[in-house]
This record gives sequence, C-alpha cells and structure tokens, in this order.
Amino acid sequence: MAHPSQLGFQDAASPVMEELLHFHDHALMIVLLISTLVLYIIVAMVSTKLTNKYILDSQEIEIVWTVLPAVILILIALPSLRILYLMDEINDPHLTIKAMGHQWYWSYEYTDYEDLGFDSYMVPTQDLVPGQFRLLETDHRMVVPVESPIRVLVSAEDVLHSWAVPSLGVKMDAVPGRLNQTAFIASRPGVFYGQCSEICGANHSFMPIVVEAVPLEHFEKWSTMMLEDA
Amino acid sequence: MLTSRALLRGLKSGFWRPLSSTSSVQAAHGKDMSPDVLDPSVPQYNNRLDTPLSDVPFVRNLNSEQRQLKEKEKGPWTKLTKEEKIALYRLTHELTYPEMRRGSSEWKTVLGGVFIFLGFSGMLVWWQRIFVFGEVPHTLSDEWVEKQTQRMIDMRVNPVGGFAYHWDYVKKQWK
Repeated sequence: MAHPSQLGFQDAASPVMEELLHFHDHALMIVLLISTLVLYIIVAMVSTKLTNKYILDSQEIEIVWTVLPAVILILIALPSLRILYLMDEINDPHLTIKAMGHQWYWSYEYTDYEDLGFDSYMVPTQDLVPGQFRLLETDHRMVVPVESPIRVLVSAEDVLHSWAVPSLGVKMDAVPGRLNQTAFIASRPGVFYGQCSEICGANHSFMPIVVEAVPLEHFEKWSTMMLEDA
Repeated sequence: MLTSRALLRGLKSGFWRPLSSTSSVQAAHGKDMSPDVLDPSVPQYNNRLDTPLSDVPFVRNLNSEQRQLKEKEKGPWTKLTKEEKIALYRLTHELTYPEMRRGSSEWKTVLGGVFIFLGFSGMLVWWQRIFVFGEVPHTLSDEWVEKQTQRMIDMRVNPVGGFAYHWDYVKKQWK
C-alpha cells in the first residue's frame, strides 16, 4: 500500500511491476535530461548580450534536432514494447481466479478444484479495528499462493469496474458481458491493496481490493477453511 | 435594464479599458505612445541594439542653432568640441546603447500583482478551512496513526525501498 508522503510508485511485488519501475526510471531520466537542456537554452537565450539574434536558417542544426529526437523516441519505444509483450506472454498459471465487480463490492471465485466463492466488502470506517487502513480494508481478502503464476479473469455483474493492484502491476477493466484476462506472480509474501479504478456509481471509492500472498500450505489451509465456512 | 447596460459600458470604457490594456501599462512604464510615432507607413526612427543607424534621424526639424552645428559637422571633425559631438549624436539618435539596455521597472508591477493574487488565494484557502471544512476522520488521530504505523512495519509494507526498508528490525527503531 502507499505510505505517507509517498512520491513514487509502491515497491514491486511482481516481476512485471519491477520491469515497469525500471522503464519508468528510464523514461523519467530522459524527460529530466531534455527538460534541463531546454531550460538551459531558454535561460541562455534570454540572458545573452549578443545583438544579432535573428539567424534565419541553418541546415546542420535542423538535421540534429530532427534526428536526435527520433533516436530518443526509439530508445523509449524499444523497452516499452518489450514490456508490453512480456505482459502478454503465455505463463501457464497454477490457479485461475474470477474477480467479479458489483456495485459496490468484489466477489472472487476459485473454481479450479472446488466451488469456492465469496464476496469482499470494504470495512466501513466506523467498524475499523485501531491500526487498520481506512477505505482499504476488506472483510475477505483474495488469498493466493506466493511465487505461483495466477490468472485472474475479470468481469462485472452490472456496470464497468476495474480491478487494480498497483504493487502487483495489474489493472484490468471489468466489463459486464466480457471476460478480461490478466496474470501476475506475487514474488514476495504480503498484503497488497488496490482500489476500483473505473467510475461505477456512488461508492466507487469504497470497493477496495486486497490480495494476500501466502505460502502454499497456508493457502491450502485457508481454502479448506473457507469451503467449510460456506 | 438599459441603464444597467449603459452603466456597464461606461464602466468598461471609462474604468477597465484604461487599466487593463497593454498600451496603458506600457505608457505608465515610459514607452512613447504618441500617434506619429505609431504610424508604420512612413520610415520610423527606432532604438534597436542590432541596427545602430536607423532610417531617419531622431530630430527632423532643426532649429537655426542645430543647423549651424550641422554645417560645422561638414568640416573636419577634429575641430568639434566634445559637447558638440554629443549634441550631434543626440540629433541623430534618441538613446545611447547603455540607455537602450537599461530595463524598465515593470517587473515590480508584475511581482506585486502576483503576490496580491497569491495572498488573496491564501485568504480564500484559510477562510475555507475555518468555515467550510468539517472534522477529519478519526483514523488520523495520533493513537490511530501510531498503531497503523506499527501495523505497516509488521506487515513489511514496501520493504524494498519505500517504508519498511527504513525500519531497523533488530534495533527496533528507524534507520
């Protein structure tokens, strides 16, 4: 989850998010260098003591400032496309979970082996235990085994929603009548928070997503317990 | 209704136009706005750093004293005194280079305006805080934030470089 006064992204909890962080650093560095250069040029042009400032043309500089930006754009495009295709790779998931968006809660279905399904409502602010995170906690978390490729099929039962968990690098729109697939691997155990990312009505800001990555034995115990409770 | 429209028009032309137009601000800061200066269909005198000799001299209509000086200029220049040379320069040019480069005080007006608007916005924000905003949620109280921070440390939130990374788990204090 985000920490106070955070400026950058949350720490990555999946390999894809790590790649996205590195790409963001790369693109931001290019942006910073170009902005510094432009700022320097502006200051130099404004503060010059020269009087002949109205040169009309120069072929060499025109070539430079056409070719160089094209090269920079290619340097940005290549890593970007690499990550794009990386995210789409067939990854042979160990588990498939369906995340269904409703107004205004998520429901998760683990139907690979047994019929396990449950709803995940936000814990209202007045019901929070001291120390819990306001507007982020849910009564049931989506538990997944750590270091396993997970496939999530996202859809909605009424209006558009979007299933997003920033630290896993995942965001997928939940469209009624459509199944959208996304996948992730939780590379470390922990609890990862996200919020609905498509406006869906009055309580759009109050239907968070909580993914809990645990070792496989714990996952098995949890799923057994959830099946018994149902 | 017609009186209010007339009033509005009067206010616009009598009060707002002279205040808000670029020409009025420039005139206040010393730019010459007389009509003959602004006629571009005849060659104009200009003070420009990159064109030292303008199309026409600054003083077009010489009086007799100035005409005498101009006659003297046709002779050897070594015979001219320093004051005469300066007077001849001032006949053909309005400003010297240092005078051209000297800036205006417009920046003080601009900065003052910026501060006034910033101050006004600050007043609005402060008024809002007192009269519009309600109480913050109870989860922002000190005890809650303390328990929440401890929970975030226990949960290893952002352990790579964000949050739990800065906590020393051995010494049980921030690094």
